[in-house]
Amino acid sequence: MNRRVAIIGASALPVGKLQSARTDPIQVLEHELMVRIVRDAVSDAGIDKNDINSAVFTVPRPYTRQSYFHTFLTSHLRLRHTGVAMEVMGNGMTGALAFDQAANQILLGQADIALCLGINMESATPSYEHMMASMRSTGDVDFHTPGGFTPISWYAMDAMRYMHEFGATREQLASVAVKNRAHAALNPLAQYRKPLTLEEVVSQRPIVEPLGLYDVPPRGDGAACLVLASEDVAKTLGKPYTVLKGRGFFHEGVHQVDDVPGDMIAFGAAAAAAKAAYRASGITPSDVDFAEFYAPCTIVEILVSEAIGLVGKGQGARAAAEGRTRLGGDIPISTSGGLTSRGHPALVTSLYNLVEVVDQLHGRAGDRQVHDARLAVTTGELGNYNAAIVHVFEGIR
Amino acid sequence: MMMKVHKVAGRRPYPPRVSAFTAVFWDELKQGRFKTTQCDCCGRQTFPPKVICPHCWSDKLSWVDLPLQGELYSWTRIHAAPTVFQPLAPYAVGIVELDKRLRLACPLIVPGGATVSIGNKIEMVVMEFEDGPLFAASVATAR
Repeated sequence: MNRRVAIIGASALPVGKLQSARTDPIQVLEHELMVRIVRDAVSDAGIDKNDINSAVFTVPRPYTRQSYFHTFLTSHLRLRHTGVAMEVMGNGMTGALAFDQAANQILLGQADIALCLGINMESATPSYEHMMASMRSTGDVDFHTPGGFTPISWYAMDAMRYMHEFGATREQLASVAVKNRAHAALNPLAQYRKPLTLEEVVSQRPIVEPLGLYDVPPRGDGAACLVLASEDVAKTLGKPYTVLKGRGFFHEGVHQVDDVPGDMIAFGAAAAAAKAAYRASGITPSDVDFAEFYAPCTIVEILVSEAIGLVGKGQGARAAAEGRTRLGGDIPISTSGGLTSRGHPALVTSLYNLVEVVDQLHGRAGDRQVHDARLAVTTGELGNYNAAIVHVFEGIR
Repeated sequence: MMMKVHKVAGRRPYPPRVSAFTAVFWDELKQGRFKTTQCDCCGRQTFPPKVICPHCWSDKLSWVDLPLQGELYSWTRIHAAPTVFQPLAPYAVGIVELDKRLRLACPLIVPGGATVSIGNKIEMVVMEFEDGPLFAASVATAR
């Protein structure tokens, strides 16, 4: 296929605690936030709203009272679509899949310009209440959920296993949180920007052992919009754009825990999806300049960095502790601040990762700019990385 | 072989639904027997029990006994729990490997003051609540 997909514009709200409590007299309404972000992203792209053919939304949280949100929002912007207007749902993979669908609109020729957008509002719902719903995804709802599993308990078990197999230390894991906070300090979109020390990370109260408060994602809200176009359209705009070079997907046919014994922390789906994405892009992992992962916990960033070949097997924790994955290191990871500090409005988290990719590849990432950034890789996942989607991007300046 | 019974006060925080198919599992568990389905065609066992074999898609299945002895593959202790589990927190859960051939995830029962380590021997037991059973792994810890 000769047609190529480009990202030509992006905008996002700073991640934060935006959702109003049910009892607040003045409420924060999702569509009032979303329409401004769409307008800013389209303005950033430099295109006319009447040229937008498709809009692929991430599904809102159940706390969003407005139902049929995508249709409703389309009416607020008088967008007339000839390709598609739809919502995508895929648990943690929602944002990455929405992007994939929007890209397909361009690749199929159903759209020359497509929006990929969404809003995630949840922070006013306490985590113990939120987990009453999210625990139902943590395996078989009748055979696992009754045992008390929570979504991040699986990552905690990854961490225990990783420390056991490779002798990684609690401090090495924590160094990921310290590094990501340092990156977030340079990102105006980040939820937490005050620098952290290793001691502060290690001394936090445990959430799921061995992971403490700063090893796991904070609760947060956000909204983001990306503008995609065919490369032919992108070329006419006379400014930098980001090309989707390749993608890979793999679902290993497992939900949280595989009853056939294997290497749980190899994240085989991420490895397979990355291999396919590198092949489609004609690159190798060593060509990658920086990466943005869907990595809700410190341990996940380590395991993904190994699975997709950016560092050696069993080397991820040490690589992080040695600063190799920091800005200025040989392979910067989560330059946005990652899920632990940039923030994790889960259903749009991958859209924020793409906003970071665009800022870096267009050379507008300010103090956190990766020098000469040209090739980037992103990951999305669901379960315990039982499925993964990997995209490779190239900046054209 | 009968499973040891670990009595727990109160009702199950989030009881499982029971279907005509899974009723066999839960009824047997109540009697102290740990069962799953084994495929009559390819011979593979799966857990939780499934109405067709996920490997070869046959629906010719038999209920067989699972081994009760195994090893701890990984574990965690959950401090931040969903509403209905908060009275139990912190509590331990883990992934166990039975007879080196089948892996499953379940709550752990840890003797007071004991240290849990990967590789610990475990034994599958019944957690007997007032309203019915759950399955768990009892961790044998080195003294």
